Amino acid sequence: MGLDYQLVLWNKHKKTYDKVILIGMLLYIILFASITLVFNSETSIETLVIRAFGTLAILMLHIILIIGPMARLNTRFLPLLYNRRHLGVSMFIAALIHGGFSIFQFHALGDVNPIYSLFTSNMDYDSLTNFPFQVLGFFALLILFAMASTSHDFYLANLSAKIWKRLHMLVYIAYTLIIFHVFLGAFQQETSLFTIVAMCLGFLIITGLHIITGIKEVTIDKQQGTYGDPNWLKVCDIDEIEEDRAKIFTVNNERVAIFKYEDKLSAIHNVCKHQGGPLGEGKIIDGCITCPWHGYQYLPSNGQSPPPFTEKVAIYELKIIGSDVYIKPKALAEGTEVIPINISK
Amino acid sequence: MSKNDDFYVGYIDHVAPKTKGFLKRFVAITLFLIVAVAVIFSLTQSTFKNSTFELTSTTQITGIYHENPYPMLRVPINHNSYKNIVLLGFGKSSVNPYLQKVMNEVVTLDKKEITVEGNLIYYNGKTLLQITSQEKVSLTHSLKNISSNIPISKLGQKTLDGEIIDPKCYFGVMKPGKGKIHRSCAVRCISGGIPPVFATKDQYNNSQYYLITDQNGMPINKDILPYIGKPSIIKGYVEEQEDWSIIKINTNDINIVSSTSDIYQ
Repeated sequence: MGLDYQLVLWNKHKKTYDKVILIGMLLYIILFASITLVFNSETSIETLVIRAFGTLAILMLHIILIIGPMARLNTRFLPLLYNRRHLGVSMFIAALIHGGFSIFQFHALGDVNPIYSLFTSNMDYDSLTNFPFQVLGFFALLILFAMASTSHDFYLANLSAKIWKRLHMLVYIAYTLIIFHVFLGAFQQETSLFTIVAMCLGFLIITGLHIITGIKEVTIDKQQGTYGDPNWLKVCDIDEIEEDRAKIFTVNNERVAIFKYEDKLSAIHNVCKHQGGPLGEGKIIDGCITCPWHGYQYLPSNGQSPPPFTEKVAIYELKIIGSDVYIKPKALAEGTEVIPINISK
Repeated sequence: MSKNDDFYVGYIDHVAPKTKGFLKRFVAITLFLIVAVAVIFSLTQSTFKNSTFELTSTTQITGIYHENPYPMLRVPINHNSYKNIVLLGFGKSSVNPYLQKVMNEVVTLDKKEITVEGNLIYYNGKTLLQITSQEKVSLTHSLKNISSNIPISKLGQKTLDGEIIDPKCYFGVMKPGKGKIHRSCAVRCISGGIPPVFATKDQYNNSQYYLITDQNGMPINKDILPYIGKPSIIKGYVEEQEDWSIIKINTNDINIVSSTSDIYQ
């Protein structure tokens, strides 16, 4: 969490994360270039750069898209999610080098503007095999640029988490465009079973993981409790909630997290104001509900971030009858003070 | 172990040992994946041809200028043996703007001796030269006893299968300088005034190249753009002018085919 906006709020883990990104990127580029120069030495430098960075960007995009669902399925992947935006920006840089070199190589120094040339040098838009695949890569690059340039908390706060999230969901459109860019472009000429299988495998892994994650999310949404009283919804037994942790339920079509801590219970809206992280999968640390994605914190008694931070989430009233936990489905205004339910009394 | 003991917060330095071990394993697997993908993608590239573009060095050449119909320099190699070097401009452009200065000095530049300096492009017996400045072209008078008449052999109608390429990229500037990946660049080059060439193979699998003109033997550029970089069959009247062949075609006779041409093999 940070109060003012700096280019990067560095910490130990971010530095380690970025070092691994840099090592990985250098390893790929050096290996690709070395193998090409040794076994296919007649290559040109421009082609080497275009291919090395293009394939690197695709590999990085696959890793980026895998981290999301993997972190939903296994919390040990959460550290990879924490600084994923740096991986995204790095991937955009690789894609930009690929796209920039390609536009210059294929379209610059001609009789028309390079961008105009990109759209008009091949007009076979009605053909699948002859389709102007570079246009697809260009649109993907524009999306990646929009995402990379807004990969900062300043834009997250000013665009609102909802719009920011929608903008960044465009990565799936970019991925689709890139798949077609490769299959209608490079694979039309550089046909290799190995590369085609590798791309198909990557697509299947990403799609499969997202489907599995979707099924898991639906399961959470089914945990809705039962009404014993029109105003109170019975959701679980106290013992079902682990100490300093929460259990998530869907109430009035909204996910709510009920936390157990210091012999008390509190319920807040499950969605973090930062990036929409699942607060119910977080933990009570220093008396605050801590989001598992980026560590944003909220006080369980009122859903407010501790001062001087200003984020607020909706809060819910609870009651206990015997060992059963009941929740009032109507949310109270964000930041409303609600006395936590004491379990022992 | 309770999951409570293993909660990661990015801005807290401490990381649970199990999480740390997991991350190390993940990084190791990712690095292995990086190596594997780099090996697969680099080793499966088609073999690049040994064409050359001398980007960083220039060569001075003296010869007889002619346009049959594209700007060329006829250079004596041995006694009664000549090489016709295709002249090209910088980037994706014709050489014509770079000849303007010497053209203003004479009534006609055709069959005049000029000395040019530029970047050589060569492959498979064909040579081209990129000229990047008007100052690198001058009229000279050093060659003696050179016939300015180019012998022409008329070979009649031929049908060829192959691909229309731009010779600047194909013979050295880009790799690959043909096919779908390169198509838009070839369109730009030929649109900019670089002569179109038909690349094909003869019955003995030897590469053959034909400068393409219209049926009257005049330069053809814009009309041929939709056919560039696609496997195709063309038919036309063929002439041989020393080391270059010319095919005179009607663009309506170009037949785009779906099969892969031999030039890709």
